Amino acid sequence: MSDATPTDRTDRIHLTAGIDPGASSVKIAIVKSRSGEDAEVVATAIQRIRRRDVRDVVRSAFADACASAGVGPDDFDYVASTGDGDAVDFGTGHFYSMTTHARGALFLVPEARAGLDVGAMHARAITFDGRGKVGKVRMTSQCASGSGQFVENITRYLGVPLEDVGNLSLESEEPEKCSSICAVLAETDVINMVSRGVKTADILRGIHLSIASKLARLIRAIGAEETVLVTGGMACDAGFLESLRECIDEKQAAEQPELAVVAHPDSILAGALGAALLGARRHRQLEEMGRLPVIAA
Amino acid sequence: MKCVVGIDLGSTTTKALLLTEDGEVLGRGITNSRSSYDVACAVAREEALTAARFAMLEQQLAESFRGGGAAGNGAGNGTGQGSGDVNRSRPLERLLQEAFRLELYLDQLGHLRDRIGELVEAPYHEEWRGALEPAVEEILDQAETQAPDLFLGDAPRKSDFFRDLAGAAFVEGAEAIAERGDAPFERLLALYDRAILDVETNLETRSFADLLRRATERIGGASTGNGNGHHGLDAEGLVRLRRVVDSVAAEPIDELAFVGTGYGRQTLPFPKESIRSEILCHGRGAHRFFPGTRTVLDIGGQDTKAIQVDEHGVVTSFQMNDRCAAGSGRYLGYLADELSLGLHELGPLALQATRKVRVNSTCTVFAGAELRERLALGEKREDILAGLHRAMMLRAMSLLARSGGIANEFTFTGGVCKNPMATKVLRELVDDNYSQEGGAPITMNIHPDSIYMGAMGAALFALEDLEAGAAGLLPSFVEGDQSTQEVRA
Repeated sequence: MSDATPTDRTDRIHLTAGIDPGASSVKIAIVKSRSGEDAEVVATAIQRIRRRDVRDVVRSAFADACASAGVGPDDFDYVASTGDGDAVDFGTGHFYSMTTHARGALFLVPEARAGLDVGAMHARAITFDGRGKVGKVRMTSQCASGSGQFVENITRYLGVPLEDVGNLSLESEEPEKCSSICAVLAETDVINMVSRGVKTADILRGIHLSIASKLARLIRAIGAEETVLVTGGMACDAGFLESLRECIDEKQAAEQPELAVVAHPDSILAGALGAALLGARRHRQLEEMGRLPVIAA
Repeated sequence: MKCVVGIDLGSTTTKALLLTEDGEVLGRGITNSRSSYDVACAVAREEALTAARFAMLEQQLAESFRGGGAAGNGAGNGTGQGSGDVNRSRPLERLLQEAFRLELYLDQLGHLRDRIGELVEAPYHEEWRGALEPAVEEILDQAETQAPDLFLGDAPRKSDFFRDLAGAAFVEGAEAIAERGDAPFERLLALYDRAILDVETNLETRSFADLLRRATERIGGASTGNGNGHHGLDAEGLVRLRRVVDSVAAEPIDELAFVGTGYGRQTLPFPKESIRSEILCHGRGAHRFFPGTRTVLDIGGQDTKAIQVDEHGVVTSFQMNDRCAAGSGRYLGYLADELSLGLHELGPLALQATRKVRVNSTCTVFAGAELRERLALGEKREDILAGLHRAMMLRAMSLLARSGGIANEFTFTGGVCKNPMATKVLRELVDDNYSQEGGAPITMNIHPDSIYMGAMGAALFALEDLEAGAAGLLPSFVEGDQSTQEVRA
């Protein structure tokens, strides 16, 4: 807990953390900023949940991040959760993922005006303004056919480590069209492709294109006109990004010449970064109101 | 011995059924459908032939060892109950069958070891090769050591398919190694995942005679070095057993006609004239067992079919769901994987539910996530599973309604009817929604061989072709006779 007084608040450096538990991994960012501006990332941590209890993973990832930042749990001004907030049983407050992803996206790529968050289970497209205020939103709903879990399931059958998927997919020359949309039934398709001798790269690219075509429709639906930053786990997948660019069809490209799909090396941390930054701003607001929170770490 | 063959090539399992010329079931075989349909068919047929031979074996053993005294001298059973009851807990043919499975499993483990040995040479594994090689050796050695217990022990196996058994052993070993920090789990599992595809699709010419002889020696005690093995066969009994085994192995089985059916008719590896639609076969098979059937629900691995048939078993209308895994057998398979359970353990577990849980997810992947979430919240496995079963059967009910509903006798077929929770939920839902004229409940049939219903229909069509003088055979069946020839020679 800090004992900041109202007099030094404009210059004061806030140390905040953002915790973003997703469906497949927990992301943590520790940030120094002046009320959320002039931010500097001190440490980050990403841990896969696998089959562990997500609350344990949150604690362990948070401890990792604190250790690499050289700070203790008591040094924070604000610890903010986003995403699956139920999984964080400590901390100061919670922000909705849409606002944290918008804020995080702006921090990573200041010219971004839309975000496509592709996580393990769901995908969500949002537009936002230069201050991170969210405009339009569209989500995938009923089904996992446009999600990261799809890719992960498939890589198991192909015997390819997840981190190699993107580059392998880029090597594809003849993408194999994937007929099933269902993420579960596609597994059978893939097994058949393997036995027909289809190259791994072509299979992966086919899957990427199938997911991307679904998500390109989301981008169209929110009417994104400028830079779209892809966030979430799939942003690390170069093959998916390339497929997504391919799926933004010519008509759309002609109508919106400024439309560009980009990713940042820290895209997966967008939610956690946004939470940390919003936490700092919130801290200052509360400070001004004289209602500073207590962190129960 | 003469027979006709029906093969139902499903997305998850492939079933083969042999019928005598009189329409009696001679043998049934099932295997997991893998990436190669040809191989799946060949293995399912091989399994059906094996089952037919074991039926013969049982009969001949009963004749040869009738009176019990001769075989049971040193066995301590000596009560003369007939049928070669050498081991107190298990009859001889059952014991032979288990030992037969064990020998087959050990052969396949050998193939797996060879294939992984090749895969680990890939440049991609260079950095880890030094750690991976001993790790794989350790895992497979352990799997081999544990194999006799798996097959000859008293505990029931989770599955009979090599993929599942070897997979479980491999994951267990790899987890232990990763725990010690010797080699990364993901890399080990990636090796297995890649190798198993090749091992499964590489159809080694397995010889029934050879495997059965090895099984005989194993349980006969020859392998332990003395004439009086631990399963209680004396020297004379063993000689007699060997004679029966040789005679059964040499008995020719002639296939006269063949019809195939299954998932994805265009890709079936059968000659055109030997293919019948899956819908027709399921209707026909169900009708053969239950002539009063007018509605059939078939829940297979990847698709769900609601079929209406007339009094001759001919299909009048149907509805099918094949774009989404929700409501198909794969749904349960996915959930079983999530829980690291065998598919057949799901139903019995769900039956123990004490609370009603409403599952909100439709998508299979989301249902898996919902399962994990609810578990994390402390809800009971059996309660959630019951809810998941109900969600799945609700999808089937809507399909049934669209195909025309249920008016009279109703038959449930396909692999999912082996699941007691699925059948229980279906019964409840049918009673809630339908009744006969006059209010009596609908008759619902589930045959113990329900999973073979499609293969049965196909075999019936084959019999019909044979009688009409238009029998077809798979070319590979003719080649396959070589193994029988060898035995005879």
